[in-house]
Amino acid sequence: MSVIVAASLTQRFGSEVGLDGVDLDVDAGEHLAVLGDNGAGKTTLLRILATAARPTSGRIEIFGLNATIERRRLRGVIGFVAHAPGLYPALSAAENLEFYCTLQGVDRGRVGEVLELVGLAELARRPADKLSRGAQQRLAIGRAVLHDPKLLVLDEPDASLDSGGADLLARVMRGRTAVIATHDHALANRLCQRTLVLRRGRVVGVPTRLRVVQ
Amino acid sequence: MTKYEKGALAAVAAMVVAAGFIFLYAPTDALQGPVQRIFYLHVSSAIAAYGCFAVVLIGGIAYLWKENVAADRLARAAALVGLVFTTITLVMGMIWAKPTWGTYWTWDARLTSTLVLWIIYAGYLMVRRLADPGRQAARFAAVVGIFGFIDVPVVHFSVTWWRTQHPGPVVINDALPPQMLVAFFVTMACTLFLAAVMIAIRYRIELLMDQAAEKVVPAAIAAPTEAGGVR
Amino acid sequence: MARKDLTSEWRTRELVPALAQFVVLALVIANFGFQIDSRNAPAIAPGVLWMALVFAGLVAFGRAFAAEREQSSLEAMLMTPASPAAIFAGKALAAALLLVLCEAVLLPALALFFSVPLSFEVVSAVLLATVGMAVLGCLFAAMVARVRARELLLPLLTLPLWIPFIVFGGQAVQVAMGGGGGTGNASGLLIDLDILFVVLTSLAARFVLDD
Repeated sequence: MSVIVAASLTQRFGSEVGLDGVDLDVDAGEHLAVLGDNGAGKTTLLRILATAARPTSGRIEIFGLNATIERRRLRGVIGFVAHAPGLYPALSAAENLEFYCTLQGVDRGRVGEVLELVGLAELARRPADKLSRGAQQRLAIGRAVLHDPKLLVLDEPDASLDSGGADLLARVMRGRTAVIATHDHALANRLCQRTLVLRRGRVVGVPTRLRVVQ
Repeated sequence: MTKYEKGALAAVAAMVVAAGFIFLYAPTDALQGPVQRIFYLHVSSAIAAYGCFAVVLIGGIAYLWKENVAADRLARAAALVGLVFTTITLVMGMIWAKPTWGTYWTWDARLTSTLVLWIIYAGYLMVRRLADPGRQAARFAAVVGIFGFIDVPVVHFSVTWWRTQHPGPVVINDALPPQMLVAFFVTMACTLFLAAVMIAIRYRIELLMDQAAEKVVPAAIAAPTEAGGVR
Repeated sequence: MARKDLTSEWRTRELVPALAQFVVLALVIANFGFQIDSRNAPAIAPGVLWMALVFAGLVAFGRAFAAEREQSSLEAMLMTPASPAAIFAGKALAAALLLVLCEAVLLPALALFFSVPLSFEVVSAVLLATVGMAVLGCLFAAMVARVRARELLLPLLTLPLWIPFIVFGGQAVQVAMGGGGGTGNASGLLIDLDILFVVLTSLAARFVLDD
């Protein structure tokens, strides 16, 4: 069963093109890695997949719904970790999560579970701006799974994660469909079954199954 | 000659006709003297401006509702033309004011609200320029255009709602002699025609600019600049 | 949402003291600029009140979406089922309360320095105007948050639409302070304007916040 089906996705910014005719599909439970250099269009693509942005043209369906129209409904089942953490510096880690709980309509009890999951249980009371970059990233990941989404979209989550980050990502991605953008081929290898390579907004080659290299 | 050139020529001809009515047909005002003739163009420009801003309002609503790019383009064109006519109104007003009141400007309700109108639509054009081109610029501008239109009835009714120095409504109150009335309606019709032609021409320009922008496709791939994107 | 904003503000405690200070300073400068004495105070005081409030408001709204901007949290908020209108309402509420705090400093200071009476009418007029100013300021702050040259654009967009509130608020305050002038029911008009703009901005919120 396909979770994501996208055809001819194109994204324009004024006269500049971020994505040019990208097709992709992702099946349920699959983990897809999107690789490519900076500026290749990974972030643009991921934002569209997360319904944070709408493509200039092209079709995209997520869970069978038209993703450019049914955004509000889809957002309830999608978790997005963007490039920037999206946290409130003056609030503590726990308070940040509580705030998002209210927005998500999720019970506050989840906060404790999620803090455990991302390994921030001891730092729950620390203001977010006093957390290390790695801890902030963990918190952002926690925020994205607060509502137990079925689809997880992660934009270079490994960029600032500290050690043990790969394990965390594996834990978080387990049992969900996931699309992750990264530079790290080894990580992609470990976490995902398929890759997609972008260069200058276009898909290069064919989405391949990763071979496990021993 | 393209239809735009023909339209432009027709509009110019219309204005010449109107000028004829203003200077040759209409009598000189007993009280104010020749300077009163500014009234015809001044009021016509104001009405043309209102009309333009009404187009901006409708275009904006149409865009927000249906994401109709043509509607947004029309709104853009009308906003610029409307701003031009507002400028004409203000300038003609100031030219009239100096000999009549002894000063170019006064802060009465009509003048102030008209100036505010000018600022609002100048803001509209600035938002278009500064926001991300495409959807964001169009949405934001539509919102500004809709809120800004609230000032139009204020401008129009300011002379009845408040005590102002600005002369009160004369056309509606039937305070004009028939010849002046005729001259006024002719001028107004010609000015509205001119405004329509200007909007049509500007629309075409905007259309060409949009099409040119879309052609610059393959070479540059940009990183998105919206909040949350790669910087 | 509003609680989050206010808690944030409380923790950092930067905005409110700065605004309060600014407001008092504005009053002091007005005194020198306008050469106020006991005769012209009632006439000038309303003007000073609104000027100080407008500038404080601009500063406050300039910062309103700053936190979201820095951390791209706006996007994260939109990614939830929460409706943009609700997010907007929360922010507007928080902003309005901040403005009210400002006024709580401004009005007594005004009464003190300019010896003008502070009646219920004055306070209610100011509060009514604050509602309208808050929703409009918030809407344009949200718009301008993602645009270049925002410090320039925010006043340009917001001030023209604040003018009716300043005009009618000024009239109401002037009448209440014993100065003459003011025709008709300025407070009633303020209420009408408030309703109009609260409805309009709520409708507009989703176009301004979301893509």
